[in-house]
Amino acid sequence: MTHISNVVRWFADPAHWNGPDGIPQRLVEHIQISAESVAIGAVIALPIGIALGHYGRFGNLAINISNVGRALPSFGVLVLAFQIFGLGNLPILVALVALAIPPMVTNSYVGLREVDPDVKEAARGMGYRELAQLLRVELPLAVPLVMAGIRTSAVQVVATATLAALIAGGGFGRYVIDGFAQQDYTKLAAGALLVAVLAMATELSLSAVERLLVPRGIRLQRAPAARRATAFKTA
Amino acid sequence: MNPRLASGRFLAALAALVFVAAACGSTGGGGTTASPSKGPLTVAGFNFPESSILAEIYGQALAHDGYTINYKLLLGTREVVAPALESGQIDLYPGYAATDLEFYNKGAGEANGDPVATTAKLNSRLQPLGLIALNPSPAVDQNAFAVTKDTQTKYSLTKLSDLAPIGNKLTLGAGPECPTRPYCQPGLEKTYGIKFKAFKPLDTDGPLTRAAFKNGTIDVGLVFSSDGDLNSLGLVVLQDDKHLENADNVVPVVRQAAASAEVTKVLNAIDAKLTTADLVTLNSQVSIQHQDADAVAKAWLQQHNYDS
Repeated sequence: MTHISNVVRWFADPAHWNGPDGIPQRLVEHIQISAESVAIGAVIALPIGIALGHYGRFGNLAINISNVGRALPSFGVLVLAFQIFGLGNLPILVALVALAIPPMVTNSYVGLREVDPDVKEAARGMGYRELAQLLRVELPLAVPLVMAGIRTSAVQVVATATLAALIAGGGFGRYVIDGFAQQDYTKLAAGALLVAVLAMATELSLSAVERLLVPRGIRLQRAPAARRATAFKTA
Repeated sequence: MNPRLASGRFLAALAALVFVAAACGSTGGGGTTASPSKGPLTVAGFNFPESSILAEIYGQALAHDGYTINYKLLLGTREVVAPALESGQIDLYPGYAATDLEFYNKGAGEANGDPVATTAKLNSRLQPLGLIALNPSPAVDQNAFAVTKDTQTKYSLTKLSDLAPIGNKLTLGAGPECPTRPYCQPGLEKTYGIKFKAFKPLDTDGPLTRAAFKNGTIDVGLVFSSDGDLNSLGLVVLQDDKHLENADNVVPVVRQAAASAEVTKVLNAIDAKLTTADLVTLNSQVSIQHQDADAVAKAWLQQHNYDS
C-alpha cells in the first residue's frame, strides 16, 4: 500500500511536471514518436492491404508475410537498427514502423475482401468505375476493419515506444529505464502507469474516430432491430 | 636410562630440524638456497580478459624467477575466486584494491581514492583470512570521465578540475543511474564543482556512450580507465585529480603461505612497472586485435627485460 501512496505522491510532486524530464515533455516525445511510426506504417501498409483486398490476389502471401512481421521482436529490430543507424530517433522509428505494419495490412486486406460481392456488382451495375467503386463503395464498407487494424497498431506502438529509452531515446520509457537503474521503483511504477494510461487513451480516442468514420448505414445495420426501424423511418 | 633418553631427545631434535628445513624449502622462503623447482603456485584470474592478462603477467614473471606455475584463468567472479583462494585451491589472483576491499568488508564503504590507504584497509580485512594484498600498482581500472580529442584541444583539458569553469557548455553522458550515484554526477558537482549543461542517460561504458561520442550528443562520458578501445575511438581520459573515484588499482591478492619474500619481491616489481596506459594497450591487443592473453603478457614482460 505504501507503494501506491508513493506513486500518488510522485504524481503530486510539481517537480515532475516541468523541465526536460517532466511528464508533459515526455508525453510529447512519446506521442510524437508513436504518431510518426503509425503514420509512416499506414502510408506503407494501407495501400498494400487495400490493393490486395480489392483485387483479391496474393492475399495469402500478404497475410503470411505480415504474420512473419508480427513475429519479429521489436527489441531485436531496435538493437539491429541501432547498430546500423546509430544513436537517434531513426532506429526507434524503424522498429515501431515494423511493428505497426502487419495489423494494418491484414485488417485492410480482410476488410476489402469481406465486402459483399453483390454490393460490388450492384455498384458496377450503377455505372461506377473501378476507382470510384473502391473509394465510394468498398472502402466505406471496410472502414470498421481498417480502423480496427490502425487501432491495434497504434496501441501496440504506444506500448512498445517505451523501448526507445533503452537506446537513449525519450518518452515515458525514460521513467521505467531510469527508475530501474536508479532503484527508484516509484518512478518505474509511475512510468509503467503512464504508458498503460496512454495506451488506453489511444484505444479510446481511435474508437471515437472510428465511430465518426463508419458510414451511417453500417452503423444502423449493426444497431438493434428496434432502433434500426425507427432510424430508417425518420431518415 | 639417561643416555637413551638423551639420544632420544637428540633424535627428536634432529627430526624437528629436518622437518623445519623441509618446510622452509617447500615454501621457497628466504630464497637463499637455489632449490631446483620452486612452487608450484596456482595463479587465477576473473572472468574477463584484463584479469587473464594480469594473471599471465604475474604468472610468467614468477616462472621467469624459477617457479612452476599453474593457471586457472577465467575462473569466475570474485564470489568464486575469493573462496578458492581462502581454501588454498589457488595461491594468488590479480585483484583491484577498492573492489576487493568492498568485497571482503561486505560493502562497508571503506574504500576511497587513495590506493595506499585502500590497500592498507584491504590488508586488515585479509589478515584474519590468511591472505595478503601486496603493493598496489599505479595501473588502475576504475570509472573515469573521457572527452574526445577535439574537445580536449578546444578547451585544453587534462584533468577533471579543468571542467569546472566550462561545465555549463558541456553535456554529460553515462548510465541512467548516474544522476543519483556519488561517483558520478553528484560527485562531479560536489568534489569538482562541475555543473553540466545537460545529462544524457545512456549506458555505463557501453555502445550507447560510444555512439553518443561519435555523433557529438555528449561532450563528457563515463568510461573505464583501462578500456582497450579508448585510443582507437580518439577518447582521452581526464585525470581524477581530486580522487573522486575509488582506488581500483591493480593489486595481487596472495595466500600468506605462498607470499614468500621472493614471491613478494617479484610481484611488487611488476606492480611498480605496470601503468594504466599499459592496461589500455594490453586490453586493446586482446579484445580488438584478438591476440592471446599469454602472448601479450609475454611481450609486455620482454619489453620490461624479463627475457627468458
